Amino acid sequence: MEISTLVQLLIGGLLLGAVYALAAAGLNLIFGVMRVVNFAHGDLMMLGAYVAFWLYTLAGLNPLVSLLATVPLLFLLGWGLQRWLVDRVVGQPPLMSLILLWGVSLVIINAALFLWTSNSRSVPAFSGGIELGGLSISRSRGIAFVAAIAITGAVWLFLQRSRWGKAIRATAQSSEMALVCGIDVARVRHITFGLAAAMAGAAGNLIVFIFAVSPVVGPTFMLKSFAIIVIGGLGSFQGALVGALVVGVIESFSAYVLNSQVSEAIVYFALILFLLARPNGLLGARL
Amino acid sequence: MSRRISSLGTTAALLLVLIVTACARPATPATGSQPAPVTQAGPIRIGASISLTGQYARTGRELLNGYQFWMEQANAKGGVLNRQVQFVTYDDESDPETAAKLYEKLISEDKVDVIIGPYSTAVTLAASTVTEKHRYPMIVSGASGTDIWARGYKYVFGTYTMAPFYMDGAIDIAKKNGYRTVALINENGAFSKDVVAAAEKKAKEAGLDVIYTEEYTKDVRDLTPTLTKIRAANADVLIAGTYGDDATLIVRQLKDLNWTPKLVALTIGPALPDFTEALGTDAEYVFGATQWEPNIKAPGVSEFATAYNAKFGHMPGYHAAGGYGSAQLLQQGLEKVGSVDNQKLRDALASMNTTTAFGAFKVDDTGSQTAKPSYLIQILGGERKLVWPDAAAESAASIPMPGWNQRS
Repeated sequence: MEISTLVQLLIGGLLLGAVYALAAAGLNLIFGVMRVVNFAHGDLMMLGAYVAFWLYTLAGLNPLVSLLATVPLLFLLGWGLQRWLVDRVVGQPPLMSLILLWGVSLVIINAALFLWTSNSRSVPAFSGGIELGGLSISRSRGIAFVAAIAITGAVWLFLQRSRWGKAIRATAQSSEMALVCGIDVARVRHITFGLAAAMAGAAGNLIVFIFAVSPVVGPTFMLKSFAIIVIGGLGSFQGALVGALVVGVIESFSAYVLNSQVSEAIVYFALILFLLARPNGLLGARL
Repeated sequence: MSRRISSLGTTAALLLVLIVTACARPATPATGSQPAPVTQAGPIRIGASISLTGQYARTGRELLNGYQFWMEQANAKGGVLNRQVQFVTYDDESDPETAAKLYEKLISEDKVDVIIGPYSTAVTLAASTVTEKHRYPMIVSGASGTDIWARGYKYVFGTYTMAPFYMDGAIDIAKKNGYRTVALINENGAFSKDVVAAAEKKAKEAGLDVIYTEEYTKDVRDLTPTLTKIRAANADVLIAGTYGDDATLIVRQLKDLNWTPKLVALTIGPALPDFTEALGTDAEYVFGATQWEPNIKAPGVSEFATAYNAKFGHMPGYHAAGGYGSAQLLQQGLEKVGSVDNQKLRDALASMNTTTAFGAFKVDDTGSQTAKPSYLIQILGGERKLVWPDAAAESAASIPMPGWNQRS
C-alpha cells in the first residue's frame, strides 16, 4: 500500500469517526448518568438532520449556521423527553427504558415519515475536495470533523469545569451520594438528556451535508453508536471519542484491504470481542 | 313555514337528506322489502403489501401513489366490471417475511378478490411463494430480479424491464465511444446483484475490460476506500448497482476525491427527484437507468403524467408509473375475462399482448416480461434527459464527463 493511500484512508476514517463520536458521546452521557440506553438516539440525530435540511431548503441557511437552531431545539426536546417520559423509568429494570425509548423511536420515525415523506434528503453544501500534498480531503467531511471535535470538546470542558458539569459527573458516579450532597439529581438528569439530544442533533446537522438521510436512518446510527461506546467504554465520555475514531479508522482500512461489506460487519465483530474480552472497553467506565 | 325557506336552506336540507339516506343505507338490513341489487356486488377488493417503512419506504410510497391514483380514476369512470375498486393494503416494513405473512392474511382472512404485487425483488420473491400457493395471479408491479421467474411459478407476471437489461445503454454508449475499462460496484441486494452480474457479462461480450468489482452494504457511509481503488485503476466507466442513498454518496465522494471517470452510470437514484435535490449541480452528466419517464412518446404516458402532476404537484417517477400501469393491466385482464376469476385471469395474463401507460406487456412461458426495453437518462441542465435507446432519445448523451474543476 502506498503511503499516500495509507494517509488518505487514515484521514477518511478519522473524519467520519469524529461525527460518530459526537453522537456516541451523547449516548454515553445518558448511559453514564442514568444507566439507560437511549434507543431513540439515532432518531434524534435524524431530527437534527431534518432541522438543517429544512432551514437550508426554506431559508437558504448554511448548515453550519443552522447548528444555532438545531442545538437548542434538540436540547429542549431531550429535556422534555427526560422530564415527562424517561424519568419514570430511571432506576427501573433496563428492559423498561429500552422498551420506552424504542417506542419513542418508533413514534419519531413514523411522525417523520408522515410529515416529511420517506424521500432522501441532503444539503448540497461544502462539496468537493481540498488538495493537500497529493491527497484530496473531502471538504464536507473535513468541516464536519472540525465542528464535531469542537462541539465534543466544548461539552467536555463544560463537564470538567462548570458547576452543572461537575454535578452531572457526580450523579454519574453515584446518584445517591450526589443527592445527599444537595445536588438536584432530577434536574441533572433533565440537563443530561437535553445535552445528549443536542449533541445527537448536532451530529445529524453535520451529516446532512455528508450523505443523504431519510426518516429511517436512525436505527443504524444508534446501533453503530452503541457498538462504539461498548468498544470505547460504557459511560466514559472520552471513551466514546476514542472508540469512534478507532471505529472510523478500522472501517476505512478494512474496506480498502478487504471490502466494504466486511467493513460494515467488522464493527459488530469488534463489539462481540470487546464484550467477551474487555467488557469495560478501551477506557473503562469513568466520566 | 316551508315556503319561506331560502334556496340556501333548501339546498342544505336536500344535502342533509342525501347524507342521512346515504349513511342509513348500509345499516338497513336486507329484509326483502327491497330487492337485493344483483349488479351491486360491492367493490372489487385488491390486496397488496406495500413498503411504507424500512429500506424501500421511499419507492414503496410511490408505488402506492400509482395504485391509488389509478383507483380514483377507475372509480370515477364507473369502476371495473361495473364495480367500484378498493385497495386493501398493509405496510410490510420492507421485510420479505412480513410481506409473505401479509399476503397470506389478505387471501385467507381478508379474502380479497385479487392481489397485486409489492415493491422490490426481495419482497416480491417472498410474497409470491404465498400467492402461488393460493393460485392468485400476481402482477409484479415493482420488481425485476430474474430469480422471481426462475422458480417455475405459473402465477407471477412481470411488468418491469428485467434487471439484466438495465445497463445495456451504458455499455452500448461506452462501446461506441471506444472506452476500454469498466469498474462495477453494487449494493448487495438481490436486484443490484442481478443488474451488475448481467452488466459484467455484457460488458465482456462487448469487448470491454472489467477491471474492478466490489459489493457494499446498503448502509454504507464511506465509499472512499472503494473509489480510491477504482481511481488508482483509472477506469473509463463506472457502473454502479445503487439503491438510493448510495447513489448520492458515490457522486459526492467522486467529487471529494476530485476524480471523474469518463462515464458514470447508476441504476436507481438518478431517476428519482431526490438525486438532483441532494446533489445540486454535482448531479450533472450522471447517467441513470430508468423503467419509464414521463416524456416517453407512447400511448397514455403524457395523459397519466399530466394528471398525476396536477394531483401530487410533481411529475411521476417510474415507480408510480409501474403501480399505475400494473393496475391498468389488472383492469384489462379482468375486463378480458369478464368476471373476477383468478384462474381465468391468470390464463388471460399469460397470453395478453397489450400496452399500459407503463409500456408494452407480454410475457414468456415463465411469466417474465419480454416486451419492454430499458431506457437510460442523463442529468443535463438539471433535467432528466432520455438519451438511450437512440430511437426514443430526446437528446444526445453528453460524454465524457467533465472533470470537477472544468465545470462552470
